Amino acid sequence: MAERGFIVSRLPGFTTIALLVFAALYLPILVLVVFSFNGGDSLSQWGGFSFRWFAKAWENDQVKDATIRSLWLALVAALIATAVATAAALGTTRRKPFKGQTFIYVMINQPLMVPEIVTAVALLIFFAWFKVNLGYQGMGYLVAAHAGFCIPFAYLPIRARLESMDLTLETAAADLYATPWLTFRRVTFPLLLPGIIAGMMLAFVTSLDDVVITLFVKSAGQDTLPTYMLGQIRRQVSTEVYAISTMLLALTVVLLTAFFALTRKRD
Amino acid sequence: MKRLLSATAMLLASAMMAQAEGELQLFNWGDYTSPELLAKFEKETGIKVTVTDYDSNDTALAKIEAGGAGFDLVVPSANYVPIYVEKGLVQELDLSKIPNHKNIAPEWLNVDYDPGRKYSIPWQWGTTGVAVNQKLYSGDINTSAIWLDPPPELVGKVNVTPEMNDVLAMATMYMGGEFCSDDAELMKKVRDKLIEAKPKWLSMDYGMTEKMSNNDVMASLYWNGAIFRARLANPDVKYGYPKEGYPLWMDQVMLLSDAKNVEEAYKFLDFIALPENAAMISAYARYANGIAGSEPFMPEDMKTAPEIVIPAELVSAGHFLSTCTGKGQEYITAIWTELQK
Repeated sequence: MAERGFIVSRLPGFTTIALLVFAALYLPILVLVVFSFNGGDSLSQWGGFSFRWFAKAWENDQVKDATIRSLWLALVAALIATAVATAAALGTTRRKPFKGQTFIYVMINQPLMVPEIVTAVALLIFFAWFKVNLGYQGMGYLVAAHAGFCIPFAYLPIRARLESMDLTLETAAADLYATPWLTFRRVTFPLLLPGIIAGMMLAFVTSLDDVVITLFVKSAGQDTLPTYMLGQIRRQVSTEVYAISTMLLALTVVLLTAFFALTRKRD
Repeated sequence: MKRLLSATAMLLASAMMAQAEGELQLFNWGDYTSPELLAKFEKETGIKVTVTDYDSNDTALAKIEAGGAGFDLVVPSANYVPIYVEKGLVQELDLSKIPNHKNIAPEWLNVDYDPGRKYSIPWQWGTTGVAVNQKLYSGDINTSAIWLDPPPELVGKVNVTPEMNDVLAMATMYMGGEFCSDDAELMKKVRDKLIEAKPKWLSMDYGMTEKMSNNDVMASLYWNGAIFRARLANPDVKYGYPKEGYPLWMDQVMLLSDAKNVEEAYKFLDFIALPENAAMISAYARYANGIAGSEPFMPEDMKTAPEIVIPAELVSAGHFLSTCTGKGQEYITAIWTELQK
């Protein structure tokens, strides 16, 4: 054993555990996808193949509005979070370690540590003050909240990419009299791009997924897809919710595939 | 020039009117508002209603208390109505603007939590009772014995919905008391009864429309509208009203103090108190409304449904649950915690 070294996949039971984990992760999703094509009224009894629940979800104005709002919010929040996270990642890796760096690191990753419900309640009270005094109740609050908690999700992959990048290329550029901005634009940024895209995708999905904070921050007429679905579940889950989930899943798969195709070409 | 002026004035006036007829923000339970109802309202008044969902009375109250969320109307349950009134979150209704207020059924007009309906217009109401699959048990089902002293056929096949207030209210009434009793002796008996009955239950879960239709669960403490839908799928399912006492609930629409679209809100409140519109609400969510004369407009299958129409001799056994505080609440929480173990 010792001469072959430690290989995790040769540990006893590795395959069994891996298969069990995959089954636990993907079987429920598979069941959901299959039953979203159920023609009957029941959630668990098969009533023939049909697209009727997809059609029903598509005709439902509340679903349509919520979907568009969710996608728009996720896109805007992800863009802002990624821009901030990129700057933060550069600031915490491309310079000499400075006093308070750990503090800043903790601050950036705060949304990962603080329970979501605490952030949600804090934001509810904080934003309510602005809503009452400014009279503005638009999407700005949701954008700010989502961009905020998405930052660490964008930050971590970008920072990881920066740390694994070869510093000598940037040093060489500087040696050849490139200004810092030019170095960033022509050397650092192109190399960092896969990290930025990965960070943005993560931020996008995190925002798309959020329930608790959205529930507390949303104003009148600002239901997102997850909060809409939560409202449905309380009374009676219908296959319509399955159909919406399947469409969301399809969108995620398309996005992820596109992401892998993009990054593979670059590497 | 004069013509231009008057044209501008008219344009302005119509723009202002369009704005006045603009919009209404309704904050309601998810999957509870009929889209056809909103379409009809928009067609008649030009007011576009936007619905935002919530999933519990507590979430709704928290958001409204924080302020500035921009809602005009909210639909709290009966025991939350006094809280909204006491905290000044809702305004007293100007009944002269709601001529259809007279349509509120007499039994729903002078409710304890809003005498004379000065603050709220009924939306929907229902009961919590016991559902039994008659294939397995055909004895008397109008009793809480179904789940507290299950007949041998039903032992190990009963579900109890994990709703603290409903469970404790029915158990207390079964033992001869009232919900929220602070009688320690009695509450001890209630506790013993529940602990004794629990091993005879199959589960404490939701989703009974599905599980009772599929014969996965043969009896359950549950809500009438959901059991009504289960019975349509499985004719063996029957709904009983425990004669010892069962909870009544009602959700009603209230006008918020910081509502911006007050005139629109009054139009909506008047609109839903019209029998044919109230029937549309019922047709969608499958619960009864509190508007007299709506019966002829109800869907055929609801007019005589035993889950919707309470048998005359059992009407008096239905009780609204009060807002429980103090010692009574302490007992309820303690028993519930023990029951959950």
